[in-house]
Amino acid sequence: MKKITLYALSTCPFCRMAKGYFDKRDIEYEGIDVDMLNEKEKEETIQEVQKISGRRAFPVIVIGEEVIVGYDELRIGEVLDK
Amino acid sequence: MREKILCPVCQVSFLLREEKKDGDEVICPVCGAVLIMRMDEEKRHLERPPDMDPEEEIRRRMDNFAKLRTYHFNQMKNPLIEGLLAKRERFGDFYCPCKIDHVQENVCPCLETRMGSVEQNGKCHCGLFWKEPPKNGEK
Repeated sequence: MKKITLYALSTCPFCRMAKGYFDKRDIEYEGIDVDMLNEKEKEETIQEVQKISGRRAFPVIVIGEEVIVGYDELRIGEVLDK
Repeated sequence: MREKILCPVCQVSFLLREEKKDGDEVICPVCGAVLIMRMDEEKRHLERPPDMDPEEEIRRRMDNFAKLRTYHFNQMKNPLIEGLLAKRERFGDFYCPCKIDHVQENVCPCLETRMGSVEQNGKCHCGLFWKEPPKNGEK
């Protein structure tokens, strides 16, 4: 099973949809609401997201080695099926 | 000669097409913001409507911007408005609900959207503004 990490913002509806995608399918993932972290953790996590995706925008979904920027159901499905 | 006047939302100066007096409403032709003309000691400036309900302010701004650029919305418009209102409540302005930085360039419509990202990608980052009317179910 590939490790899945979802970097999200609590204000972002597409981040909620990404959570819903995994929840509905009982797929285990680590969901991080970056804006709800304490300042130190937030800064470290944003740096990580920026390094992974090249952006400071959300959602960013990491499935194994693959990175998906934005909520793209088709792409998530493709990467999970690989 | 008419002077340019600064939009306090997008920080772009523009020429007014018609004469306005103190208290008149002005729509920014760059970002669609609803603004009020103020005349202080013969110097005029624009300000955001202080008494307008936040939801009305952002809805009118995004509708104006979409009209100016002939962009479209889809069914995510209302959830995104909720996100924008949450940002305003927590951070003081309508920052993009999908971006972490609470800076002027991320105030909706954000700088990358005003610079043409919808033309390049078909939609803005958060999927509020679309170049074409979205097909059924497209998010």
